[in-house]
Amino acid sequence: MRVRVLFFGRVKEIVGRAEETADVEDGADLGSLFRSYARRFPQLAEMERSTVLARNQKIASHSEFLADGDEVAFLPPVSGGMKHRAARNRRNRAGAD
Amino acid sequence: MQHETAEIVRAPIDVAALAAGLRRGEDGAVVVFEGIVRNGSGGCPTLYLEYEGYEAMALEQMRAIAGEARARWPIDRVAIVHRLGRLEIGETSIAIVVTSAHRAPAFDACRHAIDRVKKSVAIWKKEYFADGAVWVEGEVMQK
Repeated sequence: MRVRVLFFGRVKEIVGRAEETADVEDGADLGSLFRSYARRFPQLAEMERSTVLARNQKIASHSEFLADGDEVAFLPPVSGGMKHRAARNRRNRAGAD
Repeated sequence: MQHETAEIVRAPIDVAALAAGLRRGEDGAVVVFEGIVRNGSGGCPTLYLEYEGYEAMALEQMRAIAGEARARWPIDRVAIVHRLGRLEIGETSIAIVVTSAHRAPAFDACRHAIDRVKKSVAIWKKEYFADGAVWVEGEVMQK
């Protein structure tokens, strides 16, 4: 089956695109989809705990099963409160995307 | 104008017009919060910010936050408007307007709404400096 995968923020820059279509096996869950991307993009593996997954625009757990035609999104941390220091330490070059 | 409004825009937000459109005769208070682009969050001057969003999801989350505020406080109307794209220093990235008969619940609901937006809406910002840029990642997105 096929799902549409959307990437945002830093995840979009790591993957190098805003979206793509992925072929997944029947019975696959969100966690297995994430792991397949983490294998392709090692930087993504480091973000496993901070990246939230959404399935059809709703936050979903890694154990949720995928269905044909689903829209999955990888959502990195949002700006939140005032904790800017962590991100500042990861500053990269402008225009990297 | 509905009781709960959520909008994502790319042009400057006309906050005065937004607030004027919400107020009614039975209101005794209008609380307006504007989040604006700050120059530098720690020494190095910021040139500008870029906001991007997962718009379908973000709009739904903003609507839910507005509904949550109205369920929790005795207020009249709530509008949450977020701007995406490139924003310069001093420009308004988000406006939240709450109207109500009395001021206390309007202040409380407005404060609650902005705190929830910052932690749980699918919108990201990238801060640009003279020597680089960084995604501002504060907290894991909450439900």
